Amino acid sequence: MNENEIFKALADPTRRAIFEKLAAGARNASTLREGMTISQPAMSQHLAVLRKAQLVTEERQGRFINYSVDPDGLVMIADWLQKYRAYWPDRVAALKDVLKGMDQ
Amino acid sequence: MTDQSVDTPGEMPETPPDAALEFNYDLDDAPEKVWRAITRPEYRQSWLPDADLAETEPCVITPGEEVRYRMREDTPPFRESAVTFRILPSPAGGTHLHIIHEPPAIQAAANNNSPAMMRAA
Repeated sequence: MNENEIFKALADPTRRAIFEKLAAGARNASTLREGMTISQPAMSQHLAVLRKAQLVTEERQGRFINYSVDPDGLVMIADWLQKYRAYWPDRVAALKDVLKGMDQ
Repeated sequence: MTDQSVDTPGEMPETPPDAALEFNYDLDDAPEKVWRAITRPEYRQSWLPDADLAETEPCVITPGEEVRYRMREDTPPFRESAVTFRILPSPAGGTHLHIIHEPPAIQAAANNNSPAMMRAA
């Protein structure tokens, strides 16, 4: 499992910054924005994308919602990369066989 | 965070395409033939099975050059992703095949419907 590959999936630099902050510890949306030039709606959108990607989970605590890294998401991305890194070379080998059997 | 983002608060930066699995192959066959093998179902299903696709119909982006398939795993959790095949003629008369497979995390970003997430075509 290659950590660099996992972070590579977090292509957007702002989302990556948010994710790295959360990797250091759970936070709510307003403390997440500290030190970042990002509007509240933009932060909400980034968090929504990260949640949808199963990289971040949320938990309501009183008036606040706390966000934290979802370990399942990290495992999922690592699994996915491992699976398809082996998949495509096999598929292309099969494609070459198909090409051999085709007319020009 | 970079300085550029200061001027555009609230805007979602575009997801760069390099956050995907990429493969490059050089094939001996002509680009037209490789295009047929990739886009015509009768050939395609012999090397890229229907079971691995969310839709068996390809989405042609540039005829003869670029085509995209939506993929879905055939076992739980049935993760969806997208693969793009780019076909370029190689100097020797063969084909350069570029495969770009975008992971589900990137798909989630690309499928967001909010206007700020819209990407240029």
